[in-house]
Amino acid sequence: MEALLSLSNDLAGAVERTAPVLVTVQARRHVPSTGIHWRPGVVVTADHTVRRDEDIVVVTADGRSLRAALAGRDPGSDLAVLRVEGLGSATATLGDDAALRVGHMALALGYGPRVSWGVISAIGPRWRSWRGGEIDRLIRLDLVLYPGFSGGPLVDGSGRVVGMNTSGLARESRLAVPMTTVGRVADELLRTGRVARGYLGIGMQPVRLPDPLRAQLGLAGDTGLMVVTVETDGPAARAGVLLGDVLVALDGTAVSDLDDVQAHLGGQRIGTTIAATVVRAGARAELSITVGERPRRGA
Amino acid sequence: MSATATVDPVTAPLAEAAAGMAARLARVTVEVRPRGAREGRGGLGGAVGAGVVWHPDGLVLTNAHVARGEVLVVLSDGRPRPARLVARDPRRDLAALVIDGHDLPTAEIGDSSALRVGELLLAVGNPYGLVRALSAGLVHAAGDRFIQADLRLAPGNSGGPLADARGRVVGLNAMVVGGLAVAVPSNVARRFVGEQLRT
Repeated sequence: MEALLSLSNDLAGAVERTAPVLVTVQARRHVPSTGIHWRPGVVVTADHTVRRDEDIVVVTADGRSLRAALAGRDPGSDLAVLRVEGLGSATATLGDDAALRVGHMALALGYGPRVSWGVISAIGPRWRSWRGGEIDRLIRLDLVLYPGFSGGPLVDGSGRVVGMNTSGLARESRLAVPMTTVGRVADELLRTGRVARGYLGIGMQPVRLPDPLRAQLGLAGDTGLMVVTVETDGPAARAGVLLGDVLVALDGTAVSDLDDVQAHLGGQRIGTTIAATVVRAGARAELSITVGERPRRGA
Repeated sequence: MSATATVDPVTAPLAEAAAGMAARLARVTVEVRPRGAREGRGGLGGAVGAGVVWHPDGLVLTNAHVARGEVLVVLSDGRPRPARLVARDPRRDLAALVIDGHDLPTAEIGDSSALRVGELLLAVGNPYGLVRALSAGLVHAAGDRFIQADLRLAPGNSGGPLADARGRVVGLNAMVVGGLAVAVPSNVARRFVGEQLRT
């Protein structure tokens, strides 16, 4: 019984220590979301729960309503950063997300405080979200993210914040964005207000390359990306990319899916040229595209 | 061939403690069935709910929505007892039943107002007709009128005990709302018993 009691006390203690850094974020209709007081005066939350850029209010754990200014957002990693004056002195005690292992007990916290209990169900390497964000580590959770839990902290067995929970980055499963990523992205957002990403201005769809064509043109991969939309006057259009071209390589490296393409479009590539190899009418064509910056939402 | 099992010094006592607690709780948990229902033990369609032995002389507490009409109480040793409904309050979802008996294993009742968010909870009941199944979870949010628990319940858990890590009953499981278990706090149940059964 002692073992059960001490676990119970540890769990309740972890909730009590973390509760002061929780805020309620009112930036959408109906259910508010949760935010984490990350650094003095800075709250991080899930971008998909911040549905407006103004009139954002956060409510502190001790019930005070404060105005928040949106310092920046990165849909790619589902992170929004708010500046808030008048928050209490407690900020999140961060843990080491690199030390997380499958099977570790974990708590997800929501404003209130409310809590959900479970385990880390999978850990994976660096991955790219469907919205193009670089996430340093995949953290999949076997616990319930109740309404309003997105943006709240994932707390490890020692009561430290190791991630920000979100249901906005995967349809079927609950994930946490590791604090390593939250810190890196939030720093960039605070510095520049945005996370810049490269942009070509084309929509693509994977297509199988017929074997005779591969042999004839000496193509490495068996899949290419057919251009199905071209943004008028976008970077690719200006370089001469046409609807129906099949992209097979960027900078001489074969690309077979959108992830491969995204990997070439980090913020540092903006304004530089990238060599694109396409198959057009059964022949190879080389184009030089000047990478643009992806327009921001609503811009 | 010999296999050597390593015993983890942390998780082994935890598992033992949880198993011990489950057994203790099962002893004070009863099945509540409509009278005249199939007498066979277990299986789907048997139990409709659960209850907690509140007093060794035969007082059993359950939910009002479980104690509709004439019911039968099945004790943890398998003996069925006809039950007399002595009080029922649909608003608080509580009902008191009396069965013949004395020296029945009785639950230790905890103070639900002392619950902390994040505290461990164990529930015992008869979900889907399984007899005395255990679920584990924790306090999601605590209130005066009900306790919300991050814990998986099913129909058949209704009326059964929700206990803390010391095995003290802190609530009676009542329903599932939005995936959360909702229980009537033990302090509400205690007040109900005091009001209804004053002698």
